[in-house]
Amino acid sequence: MAENYSFTYSFVTSQRLHLWLKISLLVLSFLIVMAASGMAQDVAVGQATATVLATLAVSSTAALAFGNVYQGVSSTIANNNASASVFTITGAASSGIMIFMALPNYVALADGSDRMTISFSSTDASVDTLGGGNPTTMAAGSGFQNINPHNFPAAAVIGAGGTTNIYLGGKVLPTIDQTAGAYTGDIILTVAYTGN
Amino acid sequence: MKNLLVIAATLLLATISCPAQTITLNNDLIFGNVFPGIPKTITKYSVGSAAEFHVAGTSGSEISIQFALPTYMHGSGFNIEMIFFNTDCSIDTLASPSQTSPLFDNLNPWTTLVYRLGSAGLTLWLGGTAIPKAAQPPGSYTATIVLTVAYTGA
Repeated sequence: MAENYSFTYSFVTSQRLHLWLKISLLVLSFLIVMAASGMAQDVAVGQATATVLATLAVSSTAALAFGNVYQGVSSTIANNNASASVFTITGAASSGIMIFMALPNYVALADGSDRMTISFSSTDASVDTLGGGNPTTMAAGSGFQNINPHNFPAAAVIGAGGTTNIYLGGKVLPTIDQTAGAYTGDIILTVAYTGN
Repeated sequence: MKNLLVIAATLLLATISCPAQTITLNNDLIFGNVFPGIPKTITKYSVGSAAEFHVAGTSGSEISIQFALPTYMHGSGFNIEMIFFNTDCSIDTLASPSQTSPLFDNLNPWTTLVYRLGSAGLTLWLGGTAIPKAAQPPGSYTATIVLTVAYTGA
């Protein structure tokens, strides 16, 4: 009777041991699989970077001012005259820019009752990369002098100091019966980076 | 009992015989100076500017490659739009990989790519395009590119 009890106890103990062993092995297997799957993947993080340069800004510093003109007598302002138009462009130093001017064919009275011809020759503009802003003191070699305002050079740049000026002259041709009064017209300057 | 031991041993061996692959970032995607209003593209062939990753692991093993790509770079409260075209990625599995003439070219970084590691692993490159606005505020902009690789088991 005692032997039978002992046999039963041993059998149960052995079964429990096997069960625990099985569970342990299953847990171990699970951990190995998890470890394997975790190692089978890797992640790297890179970056995209960019530095945006200064935005272009254009302003009209001085108007092309012909002052008083006489009926039937044309008047010319050179681009190196104190009355020449001055535009100021600021942006990233030494960067290439495209320059386009929309030039008027006429100036007109405010009420539109009369208009006067204005013309621009192929040497009426200068591009001053020193950014002095004074058309009378532009130094030779500091940009482009006496160029065509209808076709600015592709090599134009913002000056090393971050500023470039454009000086513009022109000519008005009043008729002999030109109505007296103040005439105005818009000169529109558009500038864009070339990306160079 | 024996069967369980065999399974565990096999899994252990599988783990030992299949070492992890590792990714190394060799180069970020660097656009450098960008002009407002002018899109700038860095091609995958651009040495030193295109993003470059290297994957090391078991030679001959097949891996899946997946990018998580940004759509904007951020900086100072402003964004720059980014575009990755479906030909902006390339891969070379040769021992001496060539960025300018890669073995597998014009790959789509938006899809999961599957390739086998070469004897020296695998190198991949990524180009992209930044599109700043005309009035884009100046300054530094950054974005994160995440690359995930995993063995396929094949």
